Amino acid sequence: MAVAEFRTGLRAWLDRHDLTPGPDHTLEGHIAQLSRVHKALYDAGWMRYGWPVEVGGLGGPPILRAVVGEEVVGRNLAEPGPYSMVEVLAPTLIDYAPARLAAEMVPRLLSGEEQWCQGFSEPGAGSDLASLATRATPRGDDWAVNGQKVWTSFAQYSARCVLLTRTSPGHNGITAFFVDMDSPGITVRPLRTMHGVDEFCEVYLDDVVVPGKRMLGRPGDGWRLAMDLLPHERSTCFWQRIAYLYTRFDRLVAEAQNPDDSDLGAAYLALHTLRCRSRATQHRLADGARLGPETSIDKVLLATAEQHLYDTARDLLPGTVELDESPWRTEFLYSRAATIYGGTAEIQRNIIARRLLDLGAG
Amino acid sequence: MTVDDQARALLAQAVRKTMDAVSGHPLDQALVELGWLDMLDEMPEIATPLVFKLLGETGAHAPLLNDVVLHAAGRPVGATVPLPFAGGAWVVWERGDNLGATLDGELPIHRVTVGAPVPLAAGRRALGWWLAGTARAMLALARSHALDRVQFGRKVASFQAVRHRLAETLVGIEGAEATLAAAADELGCLLAKAAAGQAALTAARHCQQVLGGIGFTAEHDLHRHVRRTLVLDALLGSSRELIRQAGAAVRAQGSAPRLVSL
Repeated sequence: MAVAEFRTGLRAWLDRHDLTPGPDHTLEGHIAQLSRVHKALYDAGWMRYGWPVEVGGLGGPPILRAVVGEEVVGRNLAEPGPYSMVEVLAPTLIDYAPARLAAEMVPRLLSGEEQWCQGFSEPGAGSDLASLATRATPRGDDWAVNGQKVWTSFAQYSARCVLLTRTSPGHNGITAFFVDMDSPGITVRPLRTMHGVDEFCEVYLDDVVVPGKRMLGRPGDGWRLAMDLLPHERSTCFWQRIAYLYTRFDRLVAEAQNPDDSDLGAAYLALHTLRCRSRATQHRLADGARLGPETSIDKVLLATAEQHLYDTARDLLPGTVELDESPWRTEFLYSRAATIYGGTAEIQRNIIARRLLDLGAG
Repeated sequence: MTVDDQARALLAQAVRKTMDAVSGHPLDQALVELGWLDMLDEMPEIATPLVFKLLGETGAHAPLLNDVVLHAAGRPVGATVPLPFAGGAWVVWERGDNLGATLDGELPIHRVTVGAPVPLAAGRRALGWWLAGTARAMLALARSHALDRVQFGRKVASFQAVRHRLAETLVGIEGAEATLAAAADELGCLLAKAAAGQAALTAARHCQQVLGGIGFTAEHDLHRHVRRTLVLDALLGSSRELIRQAGAAVRAQGSAPRLVSL
């Protein structure tokens, strides 16, 4: 199906079906709204395009998913954060889970029936993810997992977790599992963050028993899984986040009194540059390219544009962030994390220097 | 590689070889012999980015911007036309070797008192590619210096502060090239020129710093690219001016145009 035709059909459908969020602006409300939107889109088929038939999809190129994300987020029907988990975790299941498990589980994620989370970072393993220490040890056909994860987004709402564990030393000793979050021994504790939304959690794993058939890939495939996941995060996911940032910029333009043209223009140029770059990335992915370290450029452009946008909002809406309880405050504060999550700005520049500029080891 | 890709690679090879050999007026003539004016007429979408980016990468120059602007205006090419410069000034980029007082002493660019409005989108896009090529030339110089130069017993390329400056330079260039490749209308070309100007100015700052003392000498090639960056950025509107214009356009429309879609 041609992208333009698909977009036209989707827009017409969204015009006819009112999915406007209700008055609940809590994180719980956002999650419920996302689930409602995904269910409606899944039942109508839209949410199934761009996904393989084997996992409940209707086929077609992944770029169709980016179109759905752009329309949903661009119309403020759902928040991009929780939505992005679909784009990150469904491809991981498709690539690494046993076929039957992927076929059983992925439709639950696409249809909004379940939310999933990603258990990667640990208190001692942030930028240095490969040093993670949560241990999985064989116990008959099962594995027993002990350790602690942190920064696990939406864990308190999640039914499943893609969990990285250590099964032996080194990069090749990391093994991934697909874990039910209601397993005995799992405790979730949301973190209080500076922007007031408790989306990040600590997850404690105390002798959690995971069946061997829930392993993703083979023992030692975990690092490769984590690296393969990044390009997903930086393609379709980014496109919906960009759509979101454009809506915020539009709102800034509407609300600012006599805004400075240079400030507006600079924020717009950063967004436009990001959008052009990301579009090229979506098309490379659609043409079958394997995305790699060059997506670190997309990541730096996104984080920079996002912080630039909210710095500009604070400049052009003086007092709003400091004096009023508006979304601008929450969003401004959240934007401070853009150069930290998903690989810090410094890690991205290290990757660019090493892999793209071939400057040798640092 | 498709046949088109092959043809393009061969063309690029021929143009680069010519630019490595000659610059200025002789290059202007050599490019006419290579079919520059025909290409501009028949396939400007391929010819302009290819030729202008190579001007930047090789450090050569020729007054081809006249042709791009005249072609877009539907006027005869091969001549000159007054071009707007930053600050409301006008200049003429001559087709001879009559050098003037321009910061980039190789370029025969002169102030003139008046000019008439001309369509600028195509010219801005062409200059954007030139600036992107110039930025890549500076990055290449700084990169090879960082890998050769040893201090404290280590290649300076091993220091994170140096690596991050070079990484930041590449981010700017890649972003600008994405806007150039997507530039189709007036605003898109304006934004692409602004992005390319910014990227080249960023490259000039970071690469000069990475090159240290040698990059400040006239013996090293960097200063030629720095001078060219400053002049080309200001030609047909500086990045600062273009950004302000883009902001005014957004304010007037009341929302941000989504210039590219999937």
